Amino acid sequence: MRPRPPAMRTKRRYILARILPYGATPDQKEVYLSVVEAATSLFGDAAVGLAQPAVVFCDGGYAVIRCRRGTEKDIATALATVTAIGVCRAALRAVAVSGTIHALKRRVRPIRPLSGDGEMTIEGRCFTMYRYPRQKVDLVEKSIKHQKLLFFTEPDLEER
Amino acid sequence: MKITDASVRPYPAGDSTLARMAVEAAELGFDSVVAIGEGAPRVGGPAVLRGAVISGASPKEVIKQVREPAAQHADVIFVNAGDIAFNRAVVSIKEVQVLRNIHAARKNAFDHVAARSAAQRGLAVDISLAPLIQYRGTKRQRALQQYEDILLLHRRYGFLLTISSGACSILEQRSVREIRGLCALFGMTGAEVNEALASVGRIVEPDQPVRVVG
Repeated sequence: MRPRPPAMRTKRRYILARILPYGATPDQKEVYLSVVEAATSLFGDAAVGLAQPAVVFCDGGYAVIRCRRGTEKDIATALATVTAIGVCRAALRAVAVSGTIHALKRRVRPIRPLSGDGEMTIEGRCFTMYRYPRQKVDLVEKSIKHQKLLFFTEPDLEER
Repeated sequence: MKITDASVRPYPAGDSTLARMAVEAAELGFDSVVAIGEGAPRVGGPAVLRGAVISGASPKEVIKQVREPAAQHADVIFVNAGDIAFNRAVVSIKEVQVLRNIHAARKNAFDHVAARSAAQRGLAVDISLAPLIQYRGTKRQRALQQYEDILLLHRRYGFLLTISSGACSILEQRSVREIRGLCALFGMTGAEVNEALASVGRIVEPDQPVRVVG
């Protein structure tokens, strides 16, 4: 089948979203399901059907969401209502909107943990520490199921 | 004009410490945050104000709680909304600065009489984004209806509005741009959102006539 001429193709927009917490590596399909669930519950089936949201990229703590041109504001608002991806608590923060994925990838700033990870105990629970720039420290509980997450800073740890 | 998140609930109520929430708030475009139950002066980063929440069954109880030391030391005093008679009485209490949890009150619990009193006294009504973010279905629809009604009264009587994330975690904090999108769901314009985000500054430091010193 011949592709449509460019003038007849649907115009699209791409939204770059940062996935929180840092270090989360959700599956692309799970991100898509979360986005669609949030958008459908906020705007309804008809609006989401016309917006055609899709997750085209999900890696390194970022996701790129595609939608039809003119619906990007609605989809960005829907992203703000995402509270979980799969069974894990998460948030999607819209960083930028563009007409090409290439332009968005230039905006990606990978956030990697700094060296100096360790362990600490809070209220009898053992946590693994992950340090990030700007003195941020994420604490992940050492357990198999329902890991508790705590978000601290370096000065908070020094006070303990 | 200081852009302020009118309420966050840091650790131990939530999973993020006040310092971490302040760092995130700065990244999200806020100049200050109001921390419920906590608040300490910070060096650098956004200012942290201390907030106190009062939930009384009657206006008498509210007056009693407002005079307690915990409320006296707070920068911003919030009162949880109740029924129509309670709200009308509470807006006339001098120490109360913000009426919150309006989405949980009955429909029309904040009426035109309360709105007029609030405008005269400079009391603000808080719009919490937590129900728009966390709730789904009829609960969220009811919150949107309530906020639309409050907005209508705000445009008619001109009382102050504040906007809060009500975040217990950094995962629940939202940027100024996202807040504009969420508030647009119930018809709030960008200018109204900016004004509401700056209201806490106006409550903490109200406009007063210029005094000539010396």
